[in-house]
Amino acid sequence: MKKGFIVVLALLVMCGLSFSAPVTSEAKTLTIGLNVPMTGDIPKVGESSKHAAQMWLEDIKAAGGLKVGGKTYKVALDIEDNESKADSAVSVATKMITQDDVLAIVGPQSSKQAVPAGEVCNNYKTPMISPWSTNPATTDNRPYVFRGCFLDSFQGPVMAKFVTGEYGFKKAAVLYDVASDYPKGLAEFFKKAWEKMHGAGSVVAFESFTTKDTDFSSQLSKIIKSGAQFLFLPQYYNEVPLIVQQAHALGWKNPIVGSDSWGSPETVKLCGKDCYGSFFCTHYAAAGAKGATKAFIDRYTKKYKEVPDDVAALTWDSLHIIQKGIESCAKLTGKVKKDREALRNAIAKIKDFKGITGNMTFTENGDPIKCAVIVKISDKGEYKFYKSVCP
Amino acid sequence: MEVKKSNPGNTKRFSGLRHFFSGIPASGWLLAAFAAVLLEFYVGDPLTEILGLPKIPALFGIVIILKKPHLIPGAFAYVGLIYLLPIIIVAKITAPATNWVSEKLDRMPLWFSAILHLVLLYFVLEIWTDISDYRLLMLKLTLIAIMITLSLNIINGYMGEFSCSHPGFIALGAYVASVFTVGLFVNDRLLGHALLPQALGQFLFPIGLILGGLVAAVGALIVAIPSFRTRGDYLAIISLAFMFIVKSLIENLEVVGGPRGLGGQPDWATLPTVFVWAVLCVWTINNFVESTMGKALNAVRDEESAADAMTVNTRKTKMIAFMFGAFWAGVGGGLFAHVLRYVNPGTFGIKKLAEVLAMVYFGGLNSVFGSIVGAVSFNLLSEALRPLEIFKWIIIPVLLILVMIYRPTGLIAFKHFNVKKILRPRPGSKERV
Repeated sequence: MKKGFIVVLALLVMCGLSFSAPVTSEAKTLTIGLNVPMTGDIPKVGESSKHAAQMWLEDIKAAGGLKVGGKTYKVALDIEDNESKADSAVSVATKMITQDDVLAIVGPQSSKQAVPAGEVCNNYKTPMISPWSTNPATTDNRPYVFRGCFLDSFQGPVMAKFVTGEYGFKKAAVLYDVASDYPKGLAEFFKKAWEKMHGAGSVVAFESFTTKDTDFSSQLSKIIKSGAQFLFLPQYYNEVPLIVQQAHALGWKNPIVGSDSWGSPETVKLCGKDCYGSFFCTHYAAAGAKGATKAFIDRYTKKYKEVPDDVAALTWDSLHIIQKGIESCAKLTGKVKKDREALRNAIAKIKDFKGITGNMTFTENGDPIKCAVIVKISDKGEYKFYKSVCP
Repeated sequence: MEVKKSNPGNTKRFSGLRHFFSGIPASGWLLAAFAAVLLEFYVGDPLTEILGLPKIPALFGIVIILKKPHLIPGAFAYVGLIYLLPIIIVAKITAPATNWVSEKLDRMPLWFSAILHLVLLYFVLEIWTDISDYRLLMLKLTLIAIMITLSLNIINGYMGEFSCSHPGFIALGAYVASVFTVGLFVNDRLLGHALLPQALGQFLFPIGLILGGLVAAVGALIVAIPSFRTRGDYLAIISLAFMFIVKSLIENLEVVGGPRGLGGQPDWATLPTVFVWAVLCVWTINNFVESTMGKALNAVRDEESAADAMTVNTRKTKMIAFMFGAFWAGVGGGLFAHVLRYVNPGTFGIKKLAEVLAMVYFGGLNSVFGSIVGAVSFNLLSEALRPLEIFKWIIIPVLLILVMIYRPTGLIAFKHFNVKKILRPRPGSKERV
């Protein structure tokens, strides 16, 4: 018995030794991690990020790799699913940094994962760019963490100013999800900005609901009774159509304006005519885009049979920021810890990066200074560029 | 495992293999594991290079199996050369010596012997996790998962009720412990300046954890008073409601960050801390379920009115068990918050509940062993299958269904966890060989 067992083990080991021929030292590959939710609450976000990242990788491959200091490096993507869970995002980030030796990480997308994962990346001194996270805590006091989008503290005032300039309204109503961090934060920033411009009490209705609610009639009745001149609705694509349609059914005729969370093509698909003519603030406008933005949209639409949403565009930009950072490093040492540090410094120094979602320069905190785009939903259901608002 | 699989049904060989290993006491296995991790510590790096692996396989190669299939043979060889072979050889060679030691220890008080074994186990884990921080994180999360699974097993296994409020208890523990540490020892935007020097915090951290556990236990009492007048489905519904109440409560509490969550916990959930708490948890829960109270609990599960007739105070028994389970869930939650160093209410929803329940029912009801096996295997499986993305959530439920069909009470159910028996010397096979 003893013998049989040892023979089997020995065979296994031999097998292993013979199969795994020692890897010859080929050109060093640079790995970029993509920490995104492929399953869980928002799989669409993960899918868009993955698509954009694969397109980016195609470009790099077509160019033969990345050129740094005269040497060409191959690039690989390490795409991992964080299940839209905070603990998984932390495990994935730790694994990418300590096991897969990634040079930089793109993602996680939503703040509830980006905040803890940012802590991990900062502790291990690995550059991380979250394309979509809007929570200030993500980058706060973390030199290695950047983000690709503007903050809610910028977006709220932008919308307040836009509505005042466009319509000349004085009384606002807000309806938001109290249990979700993004709508809640944005609603508060908007309220603060609006009251600063029009005096205390100018937000005549500040109503909330909880995630997965589907009946909003009591909140909407209150809003209609309050005499508000418009409704600010910082909600996601799955709630916007319900709310807008119910508001119209209850007799609401005033404008409804939205935030960047409206940006998914699903919003118009589900909402239909009820949303036509509405304005919202976002990172880029798909219809009527020009130059590099148009090229990206056309290519993406052709390849994946859908118009890219803001997540795809922001992920694309984040990857290009990393690419630019790598290219502007004088040379790579091959020691991943040193290279990460060099890359971080290079990214922080990037000035006026020309992305498809606008020009970006990072502040000391790792947040970009970039313009917001006001989009109007046309009568054909397209997102038409209306105005650009810069800080 | 491979050997067992290659001879299915061959009971003679199977028993031979069993016989081959039966002469090794627990101390022998631990010593062998210690040798293996030391070996990895010193020759792991050169060996990975020879085998063409990019890095030391973090979790016995299971993480790379699906991502880079061409590395499987190398990973297999590595596991064989570093773990399997040395462990078997060392365990077998030192068996007479370790048996002698175990025999001596057997005559000493149990606590002394148990502590010696645990210290050795701790050193094995410490050296093992020294290789990679990913390992360390996984180990910490797994130890916490064991605590949480075990605490739910008291309620769902030993008591036989279907409670859904566990994420609520974990959340209470996580938030109370976080508020304690962040509020007292860290300059935070939400909770203001540190009130006490940070150096003191490490020593007061256990108080925060216990506080978290106690608040969770009070929460359990609040559920228990109205709901234990009901049984079965109704308890499930009430406890589910409790979970949502806790979640909404935290979402609406602006002081602790609301839905944005609370971050910036100090890094105090180190491996020794988590290890000691996990051991304490297993030890007290095992003592609890083996005590008269635990037996009364089983009696209540099997036939409440009969237990009542046999002078068991069923109401008190159920309350205490429920609160005890909640206490350990709270402590586990506090550690969880300090490992991640961030908590948000969204984490403690239905998804967490499904995960905890899966670990309990997968591992086995009414069994400490089962909970440990359930938590460890579920965590490893979850890491190994991550690259499959959506298919992972098909495979794991299918596995769970299969377990439910072929072993309706879980993999290792209704098994006693007898420390004395585990640590006993096993010289029996010496004469037989």
